[in-house]
Order: sequence, then structure tokens, then C-alpha cells
Amino acid sequence: MDIVLESLAKIVFMFLLIMGMVPALIWAERKGAAFIQDRTGPNRASIAGIRLAGLVHPIADVLKLVFKEDIAPTHRHRALYNLAPWLVMTVAVSTYAVIPFGDYLELGGKRIPLVVADLQVGLLYVLAVASLGTYGVVLAGWAANNKFTFLGGIRATAQMISYEISMGLAVMGLMLIFGTLRLTDIVAGQGGLLFGFLPMWGVVLQPLGFVLFITAVYAETNRNPFDLPEGESEIVAGYHLEYSSLKFALFFMAEYCHMVVGAAMISALYFGGYQIPWLPRPRLEQNAGLLLVIMLAAIIAVSLWFAVLFLRRVQREKGKFGDARDREPVLGAGLWLVIAAAAAGAFLLRPWEIGPAGASVAATVFQVGAFVGKVVFFAWLFIWVRWTLPRFRYDQLMRLGWKVMLPLGLANLVVTALVLAAVGGGK
Amino acid sequence: MSFEGLPKGSTDKRRSLLESMYLLEVVRGLGVTARHLLRNIFHTGDMPTMQYPEEKRVYGDRFRGRHRLMQREDGTPRCVACQMCSTYCPADCIYITAAEHPDPAIEKYPATFDIDLLRCVYCGLCEEACPCDAIRLDTGIYEIAADHRDKFIVDKEFLLRNTTDGTR
Amino acid sequence: MARLTIDGSAIEVADGTSLFDACRLARGESLPHFCYHPDLSIAGVCRLCQVEVEGMPKLTIACNTTVREGMVVHTRSERVRKASQQILEMHLINHPVDCPICDQAGECGLQNQYMAYGLYDSQVAESDKVNKAKALVIGPHVVLDKERCVLCSRCVRFCNEVTKTGELGIFNRGDRAEIGVAPGRELDNAYSVNTVDICPVGALTSRDFRFQKRVWMLKSTDSICPGCATGCNVRVDHEAGRIYRLKPRRNPAVNGSWMCDEGRLTYKDVHAEDRLLEPLWNGRVVSWADARGHLAHVVAGGFALVIGSAHQSLEEMWLLRQLAGTAALSGGLAGSDLAVGDDILRSADRTPNRRGLALAGLAEHDAAALAGLVRAARGAILVHGGDPAAAPDVAAAMAGRQDVVYVGTHRRATAAAAALALPGAMWAEKAGIFVNRQDRLQAFAQAVARPGNAREDWRVLGEMLPDQGRAPTGLKALRAGVAADLAPALAPTIDLDRLPQGGVPAGGDA
Repeated sequence: MDIVLESLAKIVFMFLLIMGMVPALIWAERKGAAFIQDRTGPNRASIAGIRLAGLVHPIADVLKLVFKEDIAPTHRHRALYNLAPWLVMTVAVSTYAVIPFGDYLELGGKRIPLVVADLQVGLLYVLAVASLGTYGVVLAGWAANNKFTFLGGIRATAQMISYEISMGLAVMGLMLIFGTLRLTDIVAGQGGLLFGFLPMWGVVLQPLGFVLFITAVYAETNRNPFDLPEGESEIVAGYHLEYSSLKFALFFMAEYCHMVVGAAMISALYFGGYQIPWLPRPRLEQNAGLLLVIMLAAIIAVSLWFAVLFLRRVQREKGKFGDARDREPVLGAGLWLVIAAAAAGAFLLRPWEIGPAGASVAATVFQVGAFVGKVVFFAWLFIWVRWTLPRFRYDQLMRLGWKVMLPLGLANLVVTALVLAAVGGGK
Repeated sequence: MSFEGLPKGSTDKRRSLLESMYLLEVVRGLGVTARHLLRNIFHTGDMPTMQYPEEKRVYGDRFRGRHRLMQREDGTPRCVACQMCSTYCPADCIYITAAEHPDPAIEKYPATFDIDLLRCVYCGLCEEACPCDAIRLDTGIYEIAADHRDKFIVDKEFLLRNTTDGTR
Repeated sequence: MARLTIDGSAIEVADGTSLFDACRLARGESLPHFCYHPDLSIAGVCRLCQVEVEGMPKLTIACNTTVREGMVVHTRSERVRKASQQILEMHLINHPVDCPICDQAGECGLQNQYMAYGLYDSQVAESDKVNKAKALVIGPHVVLDKERCVLCSRCVRFCNEVTKTGELGIFNRGDRAEIGVAPGRELDNAYSVNTVDICPVGALTSRDFRFQKRVWMLKSTDSICPGCATGCNVRVDHEAGRIYRLKPRRNPAVNGSWMCDEGRLTYKDVHAEDRLLEPLWNGRVVSWADARGHLAHVVAGGFALVIGSAHQSLEEMWLLRQLAGTAALSGGLAGSDLAVGDDILRSADRTPNRRGLALAGLAEHDAAALAGLVRAARGAILVHGGDPAAAPDVAAAMAGRQDVVYVGTHRRATAAAAALALPGAMWAEKAGIFVNRQDRLQAFAQAVARPGNAREDWRVLGEMLPDQGRAPTGLKALRAGVAADLAPALAPTIDLDRLPQGGVPAGGDA
């Protein structure tokens, strides 16, 4: 019974984490794109005149998508047309099951591993499920009975086939090194130090493998520069052209879910997952009190700095709009001050006197925080790359996949195997 | 065919090994966008974006906005319906029907004078063509919006009411 | 024959030719002029056509000089150019230059010649100009603007020499001189709008056309006036499917440079309110597809009587006869459309193609005879054009019949009497040939698009031919059929598809 409750709690946590990140990522995508392009970006939607730097826009978007008319083409394949968005979304979410988001949580003397399903073939599960997502895209393209969507579906298939191979080859390097397919083991294996000072992260052991993997992940998620299945300038919007309302919203959300799962995979395989470099779990537990104090102090400093920035804006933009928008900087400053005050208040709880049980929980929180931080960074990298690189041409995409990445992946595998044999490492 | 004067190396497609490896270039590109991103986060006010309905661009006096018809002192149009403007109009957007004026000194006046604002390209040739200085594009009005195509076809009365200060 | 040199090129013309015509031949274009008109007497008042003749101390006007053997003439010398410019400046001294509101703008002698020879700045202040009456209605069709007049006297000469009514004259002297109507009269002769045509400036304008359209927007199509049997050659000026005016085309063999006021208004019928625009089945609008169904039903047993009209083209008359086959055939109401003619142009016969009926072999019947034919018809009746039911006898004979088919253009008596009325094309909406009272074949071209669902008559009639294999595939094929059939009556040199500009007599170039 406990195992069920535990699993449910972990599923809910993971689901909320992903679903919470989707609107934040959409906001980051729009605002980040704007700032990269020297624009201000979305800032018009407001609640009672307060715009929150465009944070209200995701809410407005959702409302719009919910209330929009669901327009469907007449000559669609009804069942597959309805199935496709659900398939895409389901696949996107279910990948998370095997990704460890922390080491373990010790509650009342019971150790709970922080992974929903600790599969022995976790890596294979990820590869298998991720490629199922392409079925959603292909079915959407085909069932809508539109030339553009069809082309989008075909492109998605070809792209998936081309990059899935490189992805598998890249990961095989890691598999050789750690001798396992279980993701928890792979992450745990990255906790040590190489030559006594380098964190033993996948990216350090397999730099070429990392480059190949991240490229393949971008291609698998259909994100720029590999977003040819959408290719709005060539095939209008590709596979989801004929979807509207909530069905479109599902595709839209699935894209960001894929991004998050991609980021989580990159973090787990090549950046040590929840591992904090030079701070293995025992040291974390020993110094939990000190770390908490440092963290709280850092929070107070950063919050105060932001509050000052906002207060400067209050002074500079006094009466600029002549309505509720003038109060926005005041609100911002207030928010940061409240955060600073809360952090300061936390000192009253005497965090430096934390006990061994508390220290264990704190260490878990730190590790989960490190994992989430890495995922956020790599999700942002997806966005950052999108607004930096132009889209590939189709022939370039194919050439890169088959003539560059495949040979490099094979070479990487062979070299890794030879080196391992020479040093007698590997398990 | 002569290629003199073309910049040298404009057709040179050779790239260095580092460039053709693409990866470093990607990182450099990320650097460029990051620079823009950070500059815009910390100097939001320096962005060229204009908060349009609140802020408006100031245009010069010679800006060509929506047309107006000039009035005589008694408020009747100065236009004599010679149709020079509609003849000259490259967009074919001016439709005039002439009629006999009771005053033989005026003789001819526009019974209707319609402009299709959707067809108009605001080139100002009608101003140039007009022998009576009866049509001008000096209202400064550039916010021309309506919810139906028909509403963009403005008539004589509308054009006579248009004023220079943009208040209509 | 006289040989002379004009602008350095030798030319040979007949004795007695005016120097003006000789210069036109040599130059390829007319000398600048206002008062000269080929169909009027020489007045020599505008002084614009001055040329330099070697041996003559002063410049001389070309229009009033007859060519002489060995003349050496210069029309483009600096002296001539200067003289033209000065004369033009003099004409413009009191001209109001109100081109924006002047209907003549775009086809104005002053404008054109100023652009060609003038291009000077005016030396006369606007306030110094002599003001005269403007927008003066001087007749049922004509408005006079005395300020714009250059006193070329063409209109005066026209009224004196052509209509011989003499309503107009030049009154006062010097810069007060002005065109006026004789006291107690108005310009109301039957040809008054010709004065508007020949007025080189905007002094005389047509009340009908006034302010309707700027002339440069109009497109022109050569046509024949359908107003009477004279068949005046006209130009149809139209824009965007609407006819704005008819202007005479010069044809010395038929109408000189003139046409009558009544003929000018014949275009009104094209845009009449009561045009038949859709097929009608017992007064109800039906589609062409339905109309064909009704037609097939009505004429299942073939036509028993076919009635033509003198208003239709020669090709259509011939086609009608083919269509009739063994049925009774009539050319329509004899003696209809008659009015008073005169000895200038207007013919008493107000149909354009009565001679064509004879040529095509259709005989007309008077009302009683036609009514008899209608009563005798045991089968469907086809009426093409005209309005035979306007005669009470015929209308009475048609009353109650459900098998009368009418192909026409207006919703008048016959369209009402017919069970099925099919919309055909007016003369301006189709091409064809009229045969005028001189037995002269003259072609007219399509000027404007057919309104509504009206169709070319020959197509409508062609669909009714019992033998569809002989239905004409095009106007060229139709004309070939006409030519083959009417060969005995037509001179062999005549190509119906390419009639000469001024028409051709049926008997050839005699």
C-alpha cells in the first residue's frame, strides 16, 4: 500500500513540475525571443491593470484556447485525428517515469528513492517512448487530410529515423562506461570525481557523445533548428495546421513537455542529474546547516538587489502611463522585499542547528533543486538556440544526420570501447 | 560581362575548418543573442519599441495622411469635379460624378466625391494634379480602421469634415 | 496636276487643291487651324494656318490659297512657328482657361495647339480679361459659353450653309465680339449638336453629354447610327459598359461630317429601363437553361410562322430565313417606324436595315395581313426584333397563344404578348451589317457588353435551327453563309467580313 502512495506522490510531483514549467517556458520563450530581438514582447494582457511583465499572457492564451471554436476539416480520419494530440501528449508526459529527480528521501527512517519507476532498462524505455511521439505527429499529419500537414508528418518520420540512430549510438558510450541501462545507476555513477578534481559528469567523459546527443534531442523534439515538420514558412504550420482550440493546445503543450523531458535527459545523462559537483551526499548532510545559512543569505542579497532595481524604476517612471500600470514597479519592489523578509524570517528557525534527520531532508531538497535548476537551464537553452539559429534546409538536415552524426557516433563508440579496454575500466 | 567593381571575394565560399565545424559558430551565435538579451533586461528603457496607443511617432508636416476636401468660404467644396485627380490616380481610388451648379460662375461641382481608402496608396499625386488645391493629404490622420470594407469608401461630406489637426 | 515643294519635299496634287490639303498630304498632319472645315466654306478668320510661300512678301493662310505649279512652301520655318504662336496668344487673350470645368478639355483645339506650338506664359492678367456670358442655354441641345469662343465662325457657317436656318451670328466688334443667337430665336434645328462637334473649343457644349464624363476616359468604337435608313457613320464613345455619346464619323458618301440630333440620342435605348435582361416565361424570369426547356416544348413541331424586323442586322435576317425553312415568313410590319424626313440627312424610314430585309428575301406585311398570318399559323411563331404586337390587330391575333417566341431587346408589347421572351442584343452590343437607303452595306462593331443575361441574337437563333449541324459557329462562318447565299445580289468584290471603312454599295464600287 505504501508503495502505491509513494508512487502516486512522486507521479503527482513530477506531473506538477512539468505542467508548471510549460506556461513558464511559454512565457520565457515569448519574452526571451523579444528581448533577444530588441523588442519588449508581450505586455498587454493585464489583471486589474497589472501586467506582470507578460506573465498574464499564458493565462489569457489558455482562456482563448479553451473557448475557441474547435474547427475540424470535413475529410479527416475521425478516430486518428482525435487520437493524435492525445498520443503526443501522453508520450511526452510518460517519459518522465524513469528519470531520477533526486537520490532518496529519508522520512521516518524510510528511504524513498526519488524516481517513479526505477527500470533496469530505463534508457531503452526513454528511447522507445520518445520515438512513439512521432506517431502522434505522423497521424496528425495524415488524418487531417491536408497536403501541408501530410508533408509535416512525412518530414517528422524521416527526421526521427535519421536522428534516432545517432541518439542511440551516443548514449551507448555512456552505457559502456557505466555498464548499466538503469538511469539511477548512471546518475549515481556521475557523483564521483575524475583525477580528484573533475566532476565525473557524462559531458566530461563523453564530450563528443554529448554534442551528438544534444543535437539528436533537438531533432527529436522538433525544435529549431530542426523544426522542419512545422516549417511555417514552407508548409504553413505542418502537422498541426488543421487543429484548433484545445487539440491545438495539446500539441503546443506537448512541444514544451518534450523540451522539458529533453532537458531532463541531458541533465541526467551528461550533467550528473541531481548531483552537485564536489558536494556528495555525505558532505551535504554534514554541512546542511551552513549551506542553508549561505543559501538564505544569498536569497536575501539577490532579492534586495532586485528590489532596488524596481525602486529605481519607480522613481524613473513616475506617472508614465497615468493608470494602474504605474504601480507595477511598486508591486515588483514589494514582492522582492517580501521574499527577502521571508528569508530573513527563516533565520528565526535557527537553520544552523538542524538535526541529522532534518539534514537528510535538506540534502534531498538541495539535490532536487540542483536537478530542477539544470533542467531549467537546458530548457532555456532550447529557447536560446531557437532564437539564435536559422532553420536547416531539408537536404542539410539529412546530410548532417547521415553523413556527419552517424559516422561520428560510430567512431565515438569504437574509441570509447578501445579506451575502456586499455585502461581496464568499465563494469 | 564585367565583374569590375564588385567587392573582391564576394563569391568566395571557402570557410575555415573551424567555421565549417559549425559548433563554435553556434556558440558564438549564442553569445550574440545573449548579449542582446542581457542588455535588454538591464536597460529595458533603451529598446526602440514604442508603446503605440500611448506613445505616437511624430511625423513631419509633409506626411501624407487621410485626404480632405478643401472648402470655399461658404463651406461648399472647392472642387470643380474636373477629375484630374481620378485620371492621375495610379490606384484608381477616386470616384467623382459631376453636376451642373446653379451658379454659372461656378458651373460645375462634384455631386459625389468618393475615395476608396483601401485602394489609395497615399502617393499624393491627386494633390499634385488638382488645379484648384481642392484635395489635400495634410490631415496627418494615419489611423484608418473600420470593421467593414464599405466603411473605407468615404464620401464628399466626410472628406469636407476632415481637418488638419487629426481631430476630425 | 500641280507640282510644288512643301518643307523641302516635292509633291504633286490636282489643280485647284487648296494649299491646306496639299500641306496635310506633305506633312502627314494638318496645319494648326480653327476655322477650316472640309465640309464648310472657307472663312479664313483664325489666321492660324499661315505658311511661308517663297516669292510672297508676307505669310499667307493655306486654307484660302490654291496650289500653283512650282510653289515652294515652308510650314515649319521659324517665321511660321512664331506667327502661329502669336496668333494663338491672341486667341487666348480673353479665353478664361477654365479647362478643369470645360467638357472640351482633352479634345480641344486650343489645348492641343498650345501644347504643340504655344507653351508661352500669358501676358494678360486675369483681371484684364473681358468677361462674357457663361453657361447660356441657347437651344434644346446646346449650351453656349461666350468666353471660351475663338470666333472661328464654324457654327455660324454650319447654320447658314448646311441647315440653312441661320440662327447664329457674330455680334459686336473687337474684343467684345461674341457668338450669339439671333434675337427671338433659339438654336433648335434638327442638327444643332453638329455645332458642338465642329466647335474647336468648349464654347458650344452638348446638354446631353455635359459633365457626364471627361473625354479622355472614353473609348471609341466605329458604328452605324440605327436611327434611320440613312445609316450615318458614327463613333460610339463609351466607358465601362455605358455609352455616353455618339459622334458622326466623316463619310462624304453618306453623311458628310454630320448627323441629326435625334440620331445622337438613339444610344438611350441601349440603357433603357425596360430592357429585356433575362429570359421571360409568361412574364416570369427564368434561367436560360429553363428557357431552353420551354423552347423545346413550345417548338416541338417546328415553327409555323417567322416574323423578322427591319431593325436587325443582315446576318440575322438571313439566319432567320434559314430557320424558317418551309414556314410562313414575314419581314415584320410594313409601314411601321415612319416619320417625316428631310433632304439633309434624316430619312422618313426610321429603321436602319429595311433594304437588308429585301436583300435577305423577307417581305413585309401590313398589320391586317400580319394578323392574318398569325391566326393562320398552326404551330409556334417566332418573332425576332421589332415590336409587331404594337399594332392592335397583331396583338389581338397573338392574344391567348402559348406558342409565341420573341427574341428581342425591350419589354414592350410583343414581349408581353409572347409566351417566351428571350433577351437579344442591341446594335451597340453586337457586330453586324446594315444596308442603308442607298443599298450601301456598312458594318458596325460591338461597343459595349450585353447587359444582364442578354445574348447575341445569332447564337439564340442558331440554337433554334432544326438542323444543328448548320448552326453558325461564329460571326465569320455566319457571314460566309450570307455571302454564299446572297452572291447574286452582291458584287463579287465584297468581303462581308472586311467591309471598307465607309461601307460599300451592294452593287460594287459603282
